[in-house]
Amino acid sequence: MRREVPLIITFIVGMIILLAAIFTSSDGSPFTLKIWADELTDWVIIVSAFAVGLASVNLFRIHGDIIARQRPGWINSLTLLLAIIVFTIVGIIARVGSNEFFDTLNQNLYDSIISPLGAAMFAILAFYNASAAYRAFRMRSLEATIMLVAAILVMLGKAPIGELIWSQFPSISTWLMDVPNTVGQRAIMIGAAIGGFATSLRILLGIERGHLGGTE
Amino acid sequence: MDWKKLQNIDRRIIYILLILATAIPMIKPLGIPISTSAQAEKFFNIMDAIPAGEKVLFSLDYAPSGAPDVHPSAMAVMRHLMDKGVGVVFIAFWDAGPMFGEQLIKSYEEQGFEYGVHFANLGYLPGGESAIKRFGEDVVGQVSRDFRNNPVSSLPIMQGIKDTRDFAAVIDFSAGNPGIQEWVRQVQGTLDINFLAACVTVSVPQTMPFVNAGQVKALLGGMRGAAEYETVMGKPGPSVAKMDAQSLGHLLIIAFIIVGNVAFFLDKKAK
Repeated sequence: MRREVPLIITFIVGMIILLAAIFTSSDGSPFTLKIWADELTDWVIIVSAFAVGLASVNLFRIHGDIIARQRPGWINSLTLLLAIIVFTIVGIIARVGSNEFFDTLNQNLYDSIISPLGAAMFAILAFYNASAAYRAFRMRSLEATIMLVAAILVMLGKAPIGELIWSQFPSISTWLMDVPNTVGQRAIMIGAAIGGFATSLRILLGIERGHLGGTE
Repeated sequence: MDWKKLQNIDRRIIYILLILATAIPMIKPLGIPISTSAQAEKFFNIMDAIPAGEKVLFSLDYAPSGAPDVHPSAMAVMRHLMDKGVGVVFIAFWDAGPMFGEQLIKSYEEQGFEYGVHFANLGYLPGGESAIKRFGEDVVGQVSRDFRNNPVSSLPIMQGIKDTRDFAAVIDFSAGNPGIQEWVRQVQGTLDINFLAACVTVSVPQTMPFVNAGQVKALLGGMRGAAEYETVMGKPGPSVAKMDAQSLGHLLIIAFIIVGNVAFFLDKKAK
């Protein structure tokens, strides 16, 4: 029963969502299946909200243990937990209490700490990309040469200086993005969608049971 | 000559040169002219055609990491809509989104624009794709209170809004998933909303099929998209200034690629 009940629930819920998306009422008004599907989708939102809380509890358990045992890097764990506590307290008071001081503090903490840190992380990627492009883009084969030439044309087409060098770079870049890129992306998307549909069908029919946990 | 050395230049040299190539134009802009793409012009025309008093929904689906590439587009479009007297409502399916909404609002509140009348921040809705679907079909049913804890039904800007079709346009500012694909799949396709998007540069290739299919009416790609929008608008802003840095950064990377390949061939020839 521990296996059968979740499988039956998965099948029923999956079929409700699937059929509600396929069928429609003659006058466009909500019909029973659609109402059930909407209710179930609302549950997903509620469960997702709980997942945020659950993740926080989990973080406290794991990092609390690291701090208590003073394992290597415990100071990082302490910083993480302190940040969670401070941001949670300030955020709750700012939002629920509508307190102007905490509201400003909340926004300032975000603008002055999280925003620059996040932007710095993203900016670091530019340096890795530059180094990786220099090392990886070598004309070792025909395929590599095509990729290299396409990359350079798109880079020149997207940067204003490219147009200054030759006015046709943006047009070539746009064509590369609109035609070969779109064709390739569409093929990947359609392939992934068919794969996703097949996997969903296997889950609905109980052939795929990974979501139940365990090794089966 | 040792061509191997030129194929393996120390990464620290690359980093230093890239810092210089991007930092110098930020301090002393070169003023390289920016042409505008058909996408930016189409985006601008769609926004410009929205009459004053209408409302546009911004879905702020990005975090601080992607913000430098997508937030400038939100700033540029917001500026255009505020100038036109079009209301803007924010929603986010990324937890960081509401804070960017507050950032966008801040300067306009200081100029005398009124929260709840000219704009509103509905906050963050967890649940990813499922949340986008339900919000798209039933805006007020999904968000009872806004980010500032006001009842949504009490906000003048939300009067007459039932689902996302009641907005003159919906724009997803996206740095990944959930984002453009989920909006197209769950809302644009079923409700046929007027849907536009702005995304980080790396997401442009994945988004192009939706643009070419007409599901995304127009797309602003990365900071270049924002710079083009500012240029079409005739009000060059921070994005235009940053494009010089991007130009020199791209040129430097291309130069390194060429050096690496020339050294590779000469090394092969020497053997």
